[in-house]
Amino acid sequence: MTVQRTRQGDLELIDVVKSFPQREGSGVVAAVDHVSLAIPSGEFVTLLGPSGCGKTTTLRLIAGFEMPTAGRILLDGKDITHQAPNKRDMAMVFQSYALFPHMTVADNIAYGLQTAGMPRAEIKAKVAAALDLMSLGGLGERRPNELSGGQQQRVALARSLVMEPSVLLFDEPLSNLDAKLRVQMRSEIRGLQRRLGITSVYVTHDQIEAMSMSDRIVVMNAGRIDQIGKPHEIYHRPRTRFVADFIGRANFVETTVEAAAGDRATVTVLGKTVQVPVEQPLSAGTRVTAVLRPEALRLVEDTARCPMTIEQGMYLGAETEYILAGDGQRLVVIESGLSAQRLFAEGQTVCVDFEDEAVHLLPVG
Amino acid sequence: MRGGIVRELAVRRYLNQFRRIFQDPVLAIGLILVTLFLVLAVVWPVLAMVGESMSEAGRPLFARYLTEPTYQTIIRNTVVMGLLVAAVGTALGFLFAYVQVKVQAPFKRLMHFVALVPIISPPFAVATATLTLFGRNGLITKGIFGVRYDIYGLQGLTLVLSLSYFTVAYMNLKGMMQALDPALEEAATNLGANKWRIFRTVTVPMLIPGILGSFLLLFVESIADLGNPLVLGGNFEVLATRIYISVIGLYDTTGAAVLSVILLVPSLIIFVIQRYWIGRMSVVSVTGKPSGTPQMITHPWVRWPLFAVTMGVTLLIILIYATLFVGAFVEVPGVNNSFTLSHFDFVINGYGSEAMTDTTLLSAISTPIAGLLGILIAFLVVRKEFPGRAGLDFAGMLGIAVPGTIIGIGYLLVFNNPLDLTLPFGGENPLTITLIPKLTGGRAVLGGALAIVMVFVIRSIPAALRSGVASLSQIDPAIEEASISLGADNARTFRKITLPLIRPAFLSGLIYAFARSMTSLSAIIFLTTPQTKIMTQQILNETENGRYGNAFAYCVILILIVLVAISVLYLTVGSATGAERTLEGGG
Repeated sequence: MTVQRTRQGDLELIDVVKSFPQREGSGVVAAVDHVSLAIPSGEFVTLLGPSGCGKTTTLRLIAGFEMPTAGRILLDGKDITHQAPNKRDMAMVFQSYALFPHMTVADNIAYGLQTAGMPRAEIKAKVAAALDLMSLGGLGERRPNELSGGQQQRVALARSLVMEPSVLLFDEPLSNLDAKLRVQMRSEIRGLQRRLGITSVYVTHDQIEAMSMSDRIVVMNAGRIDQIGKPHEIYHRPRTRFVADFIGRANFVETTVEAAAGDRATVTVLGKTVQVPVEQPLSAGTRVTAVLRPEALRLVEDTARCPMTIEQGMYLGAETEYILAGDGQRLVVIESGLSAQRLFAEGQTVCVDFEDEAVHLLPVG
Repeated sequence: MRGGIVRELAVRRYLNQFRRIFQDPVLAIGLILVTLFLVLAVVWPVLAMVGESMSEAGRPLFARYLTEPTYQTIIRNTVVMGLLVAAVGTALGFLFAYVQVKVQAPFKRLMHFVALVPIISPPFAVATATLTLFGRNGLITKGIFGVRYDIYGLQGLTLVLSLSYFTVAYMNLKGMMQALDPALEEAATNLGANKWRIFRTVTVPMLIPGILGSFLLLFVESIADLGNPLVLGGNFEVLATRIYISVIGLYDTTGAAVLSVILLVPSLIIFVIQRYWIGRMSVVSVTGKPSGTPQMITHPWVRWPLFAVTMGVTLLIILIYATLFVGAFVEVPGVNNSFTLSHFDFVINGYGSEAMTDTTLLSAISTPIAGLLGILIAFLVVRKEFPGRAGLDFAGMLGIAVPGTIIGIGYLLVFNNPLDLTLPFGGENPLTITLIPKLTGGRAVLGGALAIVMVFVIRSIPAALRSGVASLSQIDPAIEEASISLGADNARTFRKITLPLIRPAFLSGLIYAFARSMTSLSAIIFLTTPQTKIMTQQILNETENGRYGNAFAYCVILILIVLVAISVLYLTVGSATGAERTLEGGG
């Protein structure tokens, strides 16, 4: 299954809209609202968002199971917007695996090749190779219902990979697996994808899955793209409050820019005045929201600056989580490492401390 | 402004849907053929019948029929009979289903089997046997009790129609009861309710859509029935029999069309209510995996009375069919009870053999067509989006929603003359092309067999369609999408994935189709010709002429043919892959 490709699988969505008629009334709902996205060959891109954000619809538009109301979809520069789904050089891995229950594992994997009219001997060789690749050796004659969830998942993957598509599509493929298997399959899928260099679009609502697998993450909210970026950018430089809140956990503190110079702004957050890098220049007096990740905060006993009360402490072993209240504000603080073992009592008055870099500013709204 | 955008988006959506369908020529051709067939075989005849009733000669008849006492009585009779049969039949169906699902009782398999027998027997086999047992010279009424009981009329019809049609209610309610999540009853028990309270406050309310649906369906079926009122009605006339007499006896097609509309309107309204409104009311989810074990009713004071009533009805049905069976072997049932094979000789070797072979052949031809069309419509309706989808579903169901006699009249109106297209050019001798040849009456194409096959097909499509829809909605659409995603087109997906997965539904669709064709009377009674004889009509003839022995022999043979066909279908279409079990197991 080593394929020499000459840069195939450049996928592009241009201003794609998909609207459905409203359940009640005569209006329409835009499930996908002017989405533009370019995915270069070989990239692993994840569409991430809560349920109903349009990520699955976007994937189904790419697959051709839905037709956009407006906009265009290009594959390697060719317009495939209205191409039939079975004619597209793509293969999809489904959430429910969608294995054919009346066929053996081998027949499932061979199905697409048979449809393409490949000679029997070649199919046999390819199926055997795919079974090997997915560590399914010896299971070829079983039926899907005789396999474990993890094995079914591998069959589904093998069935798609064997087609050697330009683009692989994943619709929450791991959500039916138990937690441990999910972690394992995560790195397996990512490893395979890297090795084969197939452009992949992966839909999930699980941020850890998105962070751990993707070259880039597309965060979607209400049919629109909120932010596109590398996992690190998405986490540390979220562009909207929604992204900050959806990826990981976040504390939001309202404040005002005190002074601004070039790409830095001075703000006071939780009693501490810090200099923060900003993407766009902000003028003094602008209201902003400071984003602080819980693990970037630490508790100190010096209560002079911004005293808060510990409402709840949860010892989780590797870390300890505190919920603080005070000054009309609630904060989540996660202590890890050695400091996780130094327990504060509920009801105790404490203060939080953090590095300047822990603060990220968002425009209010 | 906003409305304009919405309209534009709607137009674009339709365009997209058409584009989607026509991306796949096979799918497009399938859709077009199915639509054409339904329009030709059911929509057009029904509309033609309505058109005839609205003609110059027809319009005044409405006022006459709706005001004249004779006709008012007929209409009242029809409604009263329909309501009685619907009530009794639904009650019987509920009783049988409840005992089957919820009560610990002996002989449950026997009861189940007996409840299903009416499906495979001709519609008025029960009526004829009942006459032999309880009629003026009945074996039981006169023979045992010495009374000259008059079973003709409403009471006899209610008994016979209820026994013939309660199967519908039974199947319907049994399915719903089995799908009831036992956890609900466990929750109610847990909250302190006793069995009676659970029955009143949980079980029955959950089943109300099923009960109402069965009631309405039975009403429609019973007012459409023709055979039983002909045999058992006596002076009690209903719309179906009056329509029959108008056509056969008075040659008054227009009058028949007007009466048909009077029968059609309530039938269609009730059918629509049943199908679209009550269907939406349903709170029982059939897809949910029931958890826990259903609690059986074991209390003797509840259990044994329920058992006694159900068993009583079961025995009555057995007695009726035993009469039918024995009656086929005696000279004159109830009068001269000496053994004879002459009736079978008449049916198999004599006059009746033609009807036997014709009916079986035409049914065998119609069955696969109806099964495939029904499943294809189900596939289109459940899986595809296109303008007019609801219309296609409705047209597919018309075969059962429209009373058979009405379809028959529609065929007479539409197909009694060939449809010719005279080309506008050609001058003196214009070229005429026969688009549709004469299908009914004398000198019809293939002796009218084509029209009969068409009727068999459209009468059988609904069963295949419904079981196909039910089965398809249980299958994860992603399985078909996976096939498409792997490069297969719609036709290959349907053949390789969908059809194998819904094989049990396909099988039951075929069985229904065959049984329905073999036993149908009202729709084809106007379409038989001297060249094409149909068993049910022969049975009716023999019964009307008092030759019960021949009628019984026909019935026995007919039931045997249906049973053999079911076995053959099981062997050829029945599953070997076990995939369905996987699906049923929720795999």
